[in-house]
Amino acid sequence: MTAFAASHREVAAQLMSRYAIFIVLVLVYFLAVAISDAFLVPTYIFNVVRQVAPVGIAAIGVTYVMILGGVDLSIGAVISLTSVLCAVQMNGDQANVAMAIAISCAAGAAIGTINGIAVALTRVSPFVLTLGTGVAVLGLTQIYSGGTARGIVAPGFREVFNYRIGDVVPVLAIAFLALAVLGLLVQRFTVFGRQLFLIGSNRRAAHLSGLSMARVTILAYALSGLFGGFAGIALLARSGVSNTLSGQGLEFQVLAAVVLGGTTFEGGRGGVAGTIAGILVLVIAFNLVNISGLPYHMQLVVMGTIIIVASAVYGQISARS
Amino acid sequence: MKIIRGLFLSVGVLASAGMIANPVFADQAADAAQTAKAAESVDTSAFKKGGPYKIGVSAGYLSNSWVVFALQHVRWEASKHSEIGDVVVTDAAFNPAKQISDIEDLLRQNIDLLIYWPVDDRAIADALKRAVEAGVPTVQAGGGFTDNPGTVSNAYISQWQLGEMVARRLMTDLGGKGKIIAMLPIAGTTAAVDQLDALQTVLKEYPGVELASIEYGDWNRAKAKQITENLLQRFPKIDGVFSPAGQMSIGVAEAFDEAGRIGEVTMSPGDEYNGWLKWVEKNKEGGAVTFPTRAGQVAVKIGFRILKGESVKRGTAVPSAYIAPADISKYVDQKAPDDWWASELPAEFLPKQ
Repeated sequence: MTAFAASHREVAAQLMSRYAIFIVLVLVYFLAVAISDAFLVPTYIFNVVRQVAPVGIAAIGVTYVMILGGVDLSIGAVISLTSVLCAVQMNGDQANVAMAIAISCAAGAAIGTINGIAVALTRVSPFVLTLGTGVAVLGLTQIYSGGTARGIVAPGFREVFNYRIGDVVPVLAIAFLALAVLGLLVQRFTVFGRQLFLIGSNRRAAHLSGLSMARVTILAYALSGLFGGFAGIALLARSGVSNTLSGQGLEFQVLAAVVLGGTTFEGGRGGVAGTIAGILVLVIAFNLVNISGLPYHMQLVVMGTIIIVASAVYGQISARS
Repeated sequence: MKIIRGLFLSVGVLASAGMIANPVFADQAADAAQTAKAAESVDTSAFKKGGPYKIGVSAGYLSNSWVVFALQHVRWEASKHSEIGDVVVTDAAFNPAKQISDIEDLLRQNIDLLIYWPVDDRAIADALKRAVEAGVPTVQAGGGFTDNPGTVSNAYISQWQLGEMVARRLMTDLGGKGKIIAMLPIAGTTAAVDQLDALQTVLKEYPGVELASIEYGDWNRAKAKQITENLLQRFPKIDGVFSPAGQMSIGVAEAFDEAGRIGEVTMSPGDEYNGWLKWVEKNKEGGAVTFPTRAGQVAVKIGFRILKGESVKRGTAVPSAYIAPADISKYVDQKAPDDWWASELPAEFLPKQ
């Protein structure tokens, strides 16, 4: 009986640990509802999901890389490049939309692949390497665009992504959620997903089991770049202008969401679901201070405090279990 | 829930009380002092020399479309003077330390005139002073007025006067009453501080207009839209929007439009950002108060006069102008990207599309 109770507690503790970020998300959401009724309005909630789509989509790919024990700091630059590339390739003509999207995704995946090959085949730290790639890609974007936002978004492109199904749910929000589900399925149900966790938690065991670590590493970074491409397209759909610096700084929001979601820099743990919860915590924190009507500087103080408290609560729940 | 909400708001209100109580006339006075200072004459005889001239441009950054257009104006004006040979451009990419070395590098290349826009005025003050001491005149282009000893003359744009023009037009369009919101650039920048101060000064004349919320959209269309989506939840009715920067005005207008509330609101003029001009032409309201990219051209003209030994003023204001919605079709380019500026640049000097 005691043994049963103990194991029962253990299971409960494990569940708490696994779902800690979701508990935090629910708490932050209730706080938001307490501050403003807007968080009960479906149109507004889906606005919030749409706001976070570009960063959220990018965070899915970066989660794979971080489960592996790596990091991708070039993601912000990839978002800027692919967003400019997509607008230039569209050139204001609907007929070019499919090709523009394909080229942007290919560019993102190509940069990710280069990152992956360099990480897999050299001893350079992924931190420094992807930082370098980010700087170089930023330079390429500036050269390509000449500093201005070149390219014109084709008519219909933004209208499709911002169309509200049933007057409530924007297509861009659906696209983000669909990619999140896809990312989760890849992580949970593919061999590649399990290999990520094995390499991240025990490189030697992975090596000894005959796993091609280079192949998995390259694929993980390529996916990170590909999702960066999707994020660039999502940003273009949201903002409508391919500013050359539009993705600048987003890498920090991405990393914050991934880490808050339980994926660590050491690798081997975490996952896409946690990342999505992490990104929602961050965006709700921003919106709730903004909607509360606090003066701007106070908003920063309160938002920072919410993020700190959220991560402390998360750490506490995880540690107890 | 009400208790939590009450607690949350009262803590915020108390803590921020000090921030709201800033001296309203500080920047209006500063603007007047700046205008007086700018009218002073500068003795340029020490810089007089014969051509051909080599112009150095030390750009604090080249990564937004406005400065790219300003730089093209520098090149255009330089091309009109046969005595001006090379135009050498460096980009500090928002790095104050790099701008110091850029200026030193340009001096080593024996430039005859230095045109610059700063990342940070104070960081490069010494480097500019060394340039002047070495006989190279310096002209600041497009930023706020500065009277550092290292800056011989300025081609400047007053954010305060621009803000005042935008505010007055909005008050007229609103009929002098209603609830408005302000969408400003990055908090703490001269642009945000001066524009807000101008708005608050004008508002004193319009007691019927209430400034319900001051927001900072960081010159970012997506962020301005996100913030406006929140404001639309907070306020059941918003009568007007003060937004001098066109790229943010589009984000604001989009959020109103999507919420089905664009009919209730009067948009203030934005600037001559092409995406905004497209919106004005379509909706026949708002108009524009320009933030002229020809500041680069004015800087070259001033520099050329200095090299000829002619007397110049400490600062030449490049004035903003109002363009009514009915006249916007002369300025908008429907075929150009949104991130583009209405200007008089000839085709061969326009940035590539």
